[in-house]
Amino acid sequence: MTSRRHFLKASALGAGAMTLAPSFSQLFAATGTVGEPKRFIFIRKSSGIRPLELALPSFSEKDKALDEKKEALEVDLDQHELPNWLRGLDDHKENLTILQGLSAKMSENVHYSFSSVMGCFKSNRNTLSAIKRATIDFELAKLFPSPFGHVELSFAGGRTGIVSGYSAPAPQTRNYCYADPETARSELFKSVLNPEAVTSDNDMLSFLRSKEGLKESGIAGREKRRQEVHLQSIESIRERNEKLIEISGSLAKFLPEIDPVHADGGPNASTPEKQAAMTKVMVSALKANLTNVVTYTIDDLGTPITGLPGNEADRVGIHPLGHDEAFGGVPAWKTREQIRISHVNQIKTIVEELKKTPEGDGTMFDNTMIMYFPENGETHHGIGLESPFVIMSGRKCNLNMAGRYVRLPVLGVEGHKTLGNWYTTLLNAHGNSMEHYGDLDLEMSRKKLDQTGPIKQFMA
Amino acid sequence: MSVCGNEIQKSLPNVRFRGFLFSIGMVVWTLFPGALSGSGHRFEVQGPVAGFLENYCYDCHDETQKGDIRLDNLAALDNPKRLDLLNRIQEQVYFRHMPPKKKDQPDEKERKILLDFLSGELAKYGASTLEGKLQKAEFGNYVDHEKLFSGEYLDLPAFTTDRRWLISEFIYNAKFQRILNGRTMINHGKKRSEGKGSKRFDKLDISNPFLLPKTIGVRYYANEDLTAGHLSSMLTNSQKVSQQITEYLVPRHGKGRTPYLPSVVEILKMEDAHKETLALRRDFLEDHIERICEDIYGSKNESLLPKFVPVVLKPLPELKDGEKYKRAPMNVSTGMLKKLEADRLVYHTLSDPEYSHLDDNEFRGFCERIWFFRGHHKRTIQSRMALLREYVPDFREIAGKNGKRIKKVVYDPLEDDDMEAVRTAILKHRKRGDFYSDIIEKCMAAWELDFQKERDDAGPPGEELFRQLITELSTLILERPPNGEESAQYLQQVKIYTDKLGRRKAVQKLIQTFLLSSEFVYRNEFGIGEADEHGRRMMAPRDASYALAYALTDQSPDEELVVAAQSGKLNTREDYRREVERMLARRDVRTIIDPILEDKNYADNSTDLPIRELRFFREFFGYPKALEVFKDEKRFGSDRLDQSTNRLVNEADRIVEFILEKDKNVFEELIGTEKFYVYHDGDNERMREASEKIKRIYAYFKDTGWEDFGYPELEKHKEFLRKEPMRSINPDKLKSGNRQGDGLKLFKKSMTTIAARLDKGQKHAPPFDLYRGYGTDFMWGGNVAKFWGYRKDSWDWTPEQPMKVSNRKGMLTHPAWLIAHAFNTETDPVRRGKFVREKLLAGTIPDIPIAVDAQIPEDHQRTLRSRLASATETNYCWKCHERMNPLGYSFECYDDFGRFRVQESLEYPENVIEKKPDKLPGRNHLVDLRDIYKTLPVDASGFLAGTGEVALDGRVENAVDLAGRLARSRRVRQSIIRHAFRYFLGRNEFLSDSKTLIDAENAYLENDGSFDAVIVSLLTSDSFIYRKPPTN
Repeated sequence: MTSRRHFLKASALGAGAMTLAPSFSQLFAATGTVGEPKRFIFIRKSSGIRPLELALPSFSEKDKALDEKKEALEVDLDQHELPNWLRGLDDHKENLTILQGLSAKMSENVHYSFSSVMGCFKSNRNTLSAIKRATIDFELAKLFPSPFGHVELSFAGGRTGIVSGYSAPAPQTRNYCYADPETARSELFKSVLNPEAVTSDNDMLSFLRSKEGLKESGIAGREKRRQEVHLQSIESIRERNEKLIEISGSLAKFLPEIDPVHADGGPNASTPEKQAAMTKVMVSALKANLTNVVTYTIDDLGTPITGLPGNEADRVGIHPLGHDEAFGGVPAWKTREQIRISHVNQIKTIVEELKKTPEGDGTMFDNTMIMYFPENGETHHGIGLESPFVIMSGRKCNLNMAGRYVRLPVLGVEGHKTLGNWYTTLLNAHGNSMEHYGDLDLEMSRKKLDQTGPIKQFMA
Repeated sequence: MSVCGNEIQKSLPNVRFRGFLFSIGMVVWTLFPGALSGSGHRFEVQGPVAGFLENYCYDCHDETQKGDIRLDNLAALDNPKRLDLLNRIQEQVYFRHMPPKKKDQPDEKERKILLDFLSGELAKYGASTLEGKLQKAEFGNYVDHEKLFSGEYLDLPAFTTDRRWLISEFIYNAKFQRILNGRTMINHGKKRSEGKGSKRFDKLDISNPFLLPKTIGVRYYANEDLTAGHLSSMLTNSQKVSQQITEYLVPRHGKGRTPYLPSVVEILKMEDAHKETLALRRDFLEDHIERICEDIYGSKNESLLPKFVPVVLKPLPELKDGEKYKRAPMNVSTGMLKKLEADRLVYHTLSDPEYSHLDDNEFRGFCERIWFFRGHHKRTIQSRMALLREYVPDFREIAGKNGKRIKKVVYDPLEDDDMEAVRTAILKHRKRGDFYSDIIEKCMAAWELDFQKERDDAGPPGEELFRQLITELSTLILERPPNGEESAQYLQQVKIYTDKLGRRKAVQKLIQTFLLSSEFVYRNEFGIGEADEHGRRMMAPRDASYALAYALTDQSPDEELVVAAQSGKLNTREDYRREVERMLARRDVRTIIDPILEDKNYADNSTDLPIRELRFFREFFGYPKALEVFKDEKRFGSDRLDQSTNRLVNEADRIVEFILEKDKNVFEELIGTEKFYVYHDGDNERMREASEKIKRIYAYFKDTGWEDFGYPELEKHKEFLRKEPMRSINPDKLKSGNRQGDGLKLFKKSMTTIAARLDKGQKHAPPFDLYRGYGTDFMWGGNVAKFWGYRKDSWDWTPEQPMKVSNRKGMLTHPAWLIAHAFNTETDPVRRGKFVREKLLAGTIPDIPIAVDAQIPEDHQRTLRSRLASATETNYCWKCHERMNPLGYSFECYDDFGRFRVQESLEYPENVIEKKPDKLPGRNHLVDLRDIYKTLPVDASGFLAGTGEVALDGRVENAVDLAGRLARSRRVRQSIIRHAFRYFLGRNEFLSDSKTLIDAENAYLENDGSFDAVIVSLLTSDSFIYRKPPTN
């Protein structure tokens, strides 16, 4: 008999295919994992993170000088104070890594990177044909299949509903994302909230199956096999839907409740409220094992921001703030910091919620990595010279990096690492042995410097 | 393929191929359910097979070969390991990689015995991998070339098996364009017209699940199955498309001159009417609720409203010492106002004379009260008030400037019935203390209930209407009416949908059902009618019409083809010929060549040739892959590399198009032409005009001392500038300019580049922009010149193109091809040589052995060729590399950007002789950014072997010499024809296709090297028109 957990692990796609369904071709081929799955949460922010904003205030003079000169540096965080905006993670320093010095020039930079920051290619201003490969989140999702395979959440552009996302399941394919908490909730838990929608899809699939089946007689050889593959394809989706409906009862206990202010896309919800609600839905989906990989665009330059401390009544724009243009009498840098603090609050919530949830001999967080990073590098108009990452990882993480501030050698010198090296590290550490993920950096190529493969110092 | 094998086997003497095909046939037999399971089978090697292994294998593969493959213990291996090994043996022996050439060779009979044994063993477990491989394009060359063209097999009856061929990415796009009434607008020179081939959809983002592999060569084969992955994407697409149809297309076009799905209009008539009424009433209420209520309640209205509670704003914070505050600029605040949906009220009020007496505070209070009573959310009002606190004077200024353009909201009562409904509903539902928004929502909810009841009372649509819907959808999506049985099935299904989902969603679901049917995504190619003595039947006329249409285009059959199929005029070879010749001659349809260039907004990217004719050579040569090779602008020497590469690929298309249009000696021209397009859009007249304009400007100013002009001097030439406008220079406002400078500065920038183009005796001026600015160039990609080695300040460009370019010969020396066959920062002689061997010489190269991880050694003082040679010219590597390297070396006279060279730069930091800037100083696009390195002489000599002609084979001086020989080679001609066969037939060729290939070659020769003749020959061949059912 198939248990709920077994089914969730073994199936690569569930109701999501019927109701959201980005292009899941790749995920369909994925096989189930054995044991506890690994989880990855990518949180994209806009407008850069200035490397100095991540520098530790308690650096020794020597370390400070190295950091400012962008020379390699590694210190343990437990001996140090975190920058003000990261203080929300004080209680979790042993899980925290501040990773500086990666470059991302093979990705698109300046204001937007679209798909490219997670795919290591130039996205040609978000044109479909420029998407060269599946983005890193989808590559990881293939390794740790789940009913939804991959979930993308986004506040980009202040949109609502189901809209196009930035992740890519395959070359020339764009993912879709849930753009407000209510939509995310209703779609992820559709089999609980609206089983009729899934049932009606299955009615259609049953009809198609019977209609295709009628053609079987008289077909032979290669065509007969083709027919069988087709019928199996229909049946596999239909069966998955049926199973999802069957387990909807047990999914119900994970159904998150969110405030009515989020109805109809939540036009009157403040930014902290929206973020908190989206986090709640995400955590619920993780706990329900609906997905193991989430990409969350917490903002882009078009995301309207309201209700921040200091700017409670103002509606502020991230783009003007990036140009030091401010709102409500509050200097731009302060509002920018408040935005980052609101992000860190979400990271903290995710960590603490998952730490509270038992799994195996520990908690769900043990198997989780959260990566928080700017989509466009080192400033509001980044050019990919640096691409800082704030990483939270649990004790069973396959990488050896927690509890440290790491600055890697700067671009163009021996030992420098690119975003491609970082993503290769993630893949190699989790079972995909590809030699290198993503496009190469042309300055490194020009200088004939080694730039392929994982970052060995992080490989456990 | 297996069937062909069985057919051939019956009629063949014992030749090499016969044994192989028999083996493959066995494999196929076991792939299907019902075949032997293999369980309980005991593996034994006996008799002649044991003898074969003893005689030819154990020398190298027995227990004495530690660490290597052993074949003497097959019986001892567990099943998965043994099957894996048997597969590897089968491939090695089948492809004649084993025994090694230098060892004793088995005769054909012995080889057949072993292959039969291997295929039998593998068949027991359905485990053979060879059959699948042989269907792939990259294994096409394994059918013996000499035999194919020997004439020995002319009598074999050719055919293709009955099959369904999964549609391509292009056909998928075309189908949706047709279904969704899509319009593709195409720029061509000065013209803009409607065409085909776009992958963009109006208001819709569709994922294409049928993307073709990105390989070079024939990419679209008939051996793909529809999988759950495809189906998953199709599910999403079908949902979106069905909504687009019912929510956008039907309301917009349902009642037009050619109504779009009129049955849907009828089915949703009542619901749509209700929606329209509701929308009308909502708009009216939202615009005029205050007045409506005042009209109904008079002076009592105010007393029914809730008590006004103003929002509270925190005082603006005081700045600390040294802190700076830069207020967000006006464009930001006006944008915010709009996003907060406050712009209408703010601008209306500020521009209305009736309220001109309000000062800023009073104005804010006025707005706030309106928003409050309308029931807007407190936070929204708060954000608006915070904005108004800082920006009212600015908004007042905007309203003052734009007053006349701000459209007033005029009270225009609805029809009497609607007005009465509004009045009745408000009176019925309004309660004391309701905000206006509460009143509106209550009224809307009540009307929606009423309308729903009305629809429920009306019942479901009648059967006749449903039948009409089914016919319309079948015709729209499947391009044929349903038969009676289908109609009954769909009718039953749509009733189920309607019961469960209601009318609208039922219609959407039915649309989805049609879109998900296999008929939508498979091309049917089945024989029909009486079988001939070989069991072959002609393709069914409808199937044939699609097969012919999709052979040459991505579109469904055109009108003539449809008529021919329906009227019995697609039943003979001559019928096929007539239609193919007609379609090849059509020039009234422009099609986008490259959807990737379309995505990059490279607008002039179309052809009036049948698109698949041009696409064959694009894919065969693979030069579009240049768009994907990530290159470095610094090494390129200038900026805008991307635009230049787009142009380069487009100009490669243009030269192919030019040669195909002439249709004379097509292969020889493609391989051997010395003429190319370089920064040219194919329209000589337009190019000449553009050049003449620049020449006129130069002639006028060259002796005026323009370099020292100030404004007074420039003023004197205003009349000329009016006659010959220069970019961003307004003769009447000379000082205006743009972000790059004022008019005088821009004039001098332009003149600098104009002079550079003509001051060295050049006869014409290439018409790239006058200076490098923002925005679009006159014609994108002026830096394309750099790929060809032309300096932009001394280039003797010509408007009459294609033009002769020195040191180039044919497509293999076109920079686009060279980039496509190069690494990011280096050339790739191996890949270039492999192309020539496989694509032009019909040769084979084994897969890279799994254990090989060869690296070209780093040595900063040696050329790439020298380093590659030391890695590959060892005994073990050379047996494969000798088929590639000597051909690929000849291309070393071009670098990885395709630039001709006689010296190779040793691009290592320690070899830099002169460092150049990393960015163009002052956007001066005449500057070259390339650092100068130490160099070594290029050795581009190579060796051509494999044409079968003594006069051609031998040492070659370089790629130009190589191309000249290849252009004269019969083997090359035949190899291209083999690839064309695969492209148009969607499969690899067999010996039974020998006559088809020979006929195609003869057609080419007899028609002065016409590729059209090759296509006609292939599409009227037995291989194409005859079908046979596959067997188990």
